[in-house]
Amino acid sequence: MRNRLRVLRAERDWTQADLAEKLEVSRQTVNALETGKYDPSLPLAFRIAKLFGVTIEEIFRPEEEAVLSPEAESS
Amino acid sequence: MNSMVSTLSSGSQAEASSRRGSRLLAAALSFAILYIGALAATELEAIPKALRIAIALLPVPAFAFFLVEWIRNIRGLDELERRVQLESLAVAFPLSVVLLMALGLIQSVTQLNPLDWSYRHVWPFLVAFYFFGLVLARRRYR
Repeated sequence: MRNRLRVLRAERDWTQADLAEKLEVSRQTVNALETGKYDPSLPLAFRIAKLFGVTIEEIFRPEEEAVLSPEAESS
Repeated sequence: MNSMVSTLSSGSQAEASSRRGSRLLAAALSFAILYIGALAATELEAIPKALRIAIALLPVPAFAFFLVEWIRNIRGLDELERRVQLESLAVAFPLSVVLLMALGLIQSVTQLNPLDWSYRHVWPFLVAFYFFGLVLARRRYR
């Protein structure tokens, strides 16, 4: 799964620790999410989407979809 | 207002996590102290055997206390940390099975020296396997 978590966080000038606090997870979890090493559960994905005020699909996208449409990555 | 509530809530969550960690450490230390003390006391032949058996069981309640704190701590972890714990156990459990199975098979061939391979020598391996699994799991998500 690919995600735009790092971009969305950077847009708000938040550190990983800030985001971790807001999501009530550890900083390591935020790092693992951003690097794509860990895919969040549905409840956590909803919390992330709500925090950034976007839908889950606007943050997370299946790997194959991201590979097929790389231009969507930049939008 | 919402962000203030959120900050307060995450602050109190960090405090709760720290409290859980302190309690877990205290429980682990009390178990370790009791275990080391019991280990030393059970080897003193001047103490009557019945009393030594009672002393040998002293660390059990301390471990039960540790177990309660351990479970409480696990329940307070976030979802990735819980997965790391699960993967640690997924490594540690089969390794423990292999160790016990191998020791059992060897024992059916030859008598292992109880001064080297009694229960008290084997259980620390299980703890070591858990930490080995923990290192592997942490590295995976680092």
